[in-house]
Amino acid sequence: MKMTRSWDRAFLHKGLGVRRILILAILSGGIWAFVQLDLNPADLVPTSGGVQVAWAFFSRALSPAIVYEAEFVPSDTPPLLWKALQAAGTTVVFASAAMSLALIWGLLLGFLASSSWWVGDPAGGAGNVTAFVRRSIAPVVYGSTRVLIAFMRSIHELIWAVLFLAAFGLSHLSAVIAIAIPFGGTLAKIFSEMIDEAPRDVAHAFRGSGASATHVYLFGLVPRALPDMTAYSFYRFECALRSSAILGFFGYPTLGFYIAASFENLHYGEVWTYLYTLLVLVILVDWWSGALRKRFVV
Amino acid sequence: MSDRELKLRYLRSQRPRSRFAYWSALLLLVVMIGSWFVGDFQVEDFLSERRLQNLTRFLHELIPYPLQERDFNLGIALKWAGEILAEKGWSAMVVTLAISVAAIVLAGFGGAFFSLPAARNFTSPEPFLPSLRNPHWAWRFLWRALVWMTRLFLIFVRSIPEYMWAFLLLAVLGPTAWPAVLALALHNLGTLGKLGAEVVENTEPSPLSALRGLGASHLQIAFTGLFPLTFSRFLLFLFYRWETCVREATVLGMLGIVSLGYWIQDSRARNHYDEMFFLVLLGAALVLIGDLLSSLARETIRRFS
Repeated sequence: MKMTRSWDRAFLHKGLGVRRILILAILSGGIWAFVQLDLNPADLVPTSGGVQVAWAFFSRALSPAIVYEAEFVPSDTPPLLWKALQAAGTTVVFASAAMSLALIWGLLLGFLASSSWWVGDPAGGAGNVTAFVRRSIAPVVYGSTRVLIAFMRSIHELIWAVLFLAAFGLSHLSAVIAIAIPFGGTLAKIFSEMIDEAPRDVAHAFRGSGASATHVYLFGLVPRALPDMTAYSFYRFECALRSSAILGFFGYPTLGFYIAASFENLHYGEVWTYLYTLLVLVILVDWWSGALRKRFVV
Repeated sequence: MSDRELKLRYLRSQRPRSRFAYWSALLLLVVMIGSWFVGDFQVEDFLSERRLQNLTRFLHELIPYPLQERDFNLGIALKWAGEILAEKGWSAMVVTLAISVAAIVLAGFGGAFFSLPAARNFTSPEPFLPSLRNPHWAWRFLWRALVWMTRLFLIFVRSIPEYMWAFLLLAVLGPTAWPAVLALALHNLGTLGKLGAEVVENTEPSPLSALRGLGASHLQIAFTGLFPLTFSRFLLFLFYRWETCVREATVLGMLGIVSLGYWIQDSRARNHYDEMFFLVLLGAALVLIGDLLSSLARETIRRFS
């Protein structure tokens, strides 16, 4: 009797109860997933062929190739390290071209999707027309923008790439647009949230001194959200680098292309050379955005 | 110059700004604009006659096959969609979801585990409270080395994209669902470990110092102090990462694991673009449902903890 009561109390306790339910949900979800996928730990032991591949591959982790491993290399091929650098350059070019498009769409749609653009007037007291616009048109605009953003985001960049591959054929520009669409959607979503959640102090002060709603938005709200937006853009740039590298698997000349090619030719040392190049690239941008964030927070 | 102008000028000079941030933004801008000149994008070619013809043909083929040469009929459309769903769409969606859930559970356990040795304030000879005796410098160094080793590991698994992990693991483990699950788990373990370490480092230290003062060991602090204090925030990150897991799980199928991506690639190879587009939309729906569930869960956590 006593035990049930204390159990009841523990379960009804607000924080603990919900948390326990969530933990149980996650764990049972995990069990369901393992059963559904037929994930057997015994399958984790690679087949004998797999062991050989694994050993051959991972043993080269500490000795990446400096020169080509192929026995015959055409005389006009650039040295391996130079080629890795070129591939890294292409990866950066694809990523930054995609980011430039994504930023334009992200800012545009982000502004449209932020509700403060429409209802951000803390003083209230608008004329009839403005009130009408605010009540009826604004929700339609930011509502439909949010639907568009959700659609752009919900399809993965690689699937956009496959769609464009089917629609246009292999074209470098279509790879860039494939990355830019979901990234633009994500940027728009996060930007609009950042603007809506930005501190209102400056906006209130501006409004109080008689600035128009547009001025309040552009000079009171957006600058307050700008540091966060910049830091987030850098983080997305890092993600864009990874995506652009992956697009190589679909035939674009970024790092993924050479990784796949070297791996399939069993030149594992070269694979590590390219992998480390990607690693350095990503870590560099990661460090950069981290340093930037630190400076903004302080 | 009037008094007011002087004051304005003074305020302007005193505004908070960072040279580093300024140059970073400028550099990013230059790189972004420059990439359009360096990259061989052939913008004119993109809108050439041939490509536009290709596009119109493609758009025409997106219309469901039984509807292509006739007026729209909802019954036929639904029958067509129902057949694809029954044949592969539904089971592929379940597999995609299962891969993402299995991966995030593994990543959650791994990330929680590795977040401890990656946190500088916890992984030291004297966590949260200076000890009476000064620890030997070599001892101190060993603990610090553990932090950097863990961080190196986390950044390594995080920097390699999921798709690449899956590609490499597929060759090692053979065609089960493991490569996809492990690939997602590894990448997200790196992210969750890093985020978890930041949470640990930003935790209000006084309860932990009190525990240490009572003589708690590292393990005891972790279980009785850090776990309850950081768990909610960690769960927030877990659900946030799960959203990306659902997105990625769709795509990993293209490597041969039978999630949605497999059938998307398959119908593309057979030039059944109508079917491909339908499957893409199914994937989008799955991602949106995942986003919704995740934001519901995060809202609940925020409200109740």
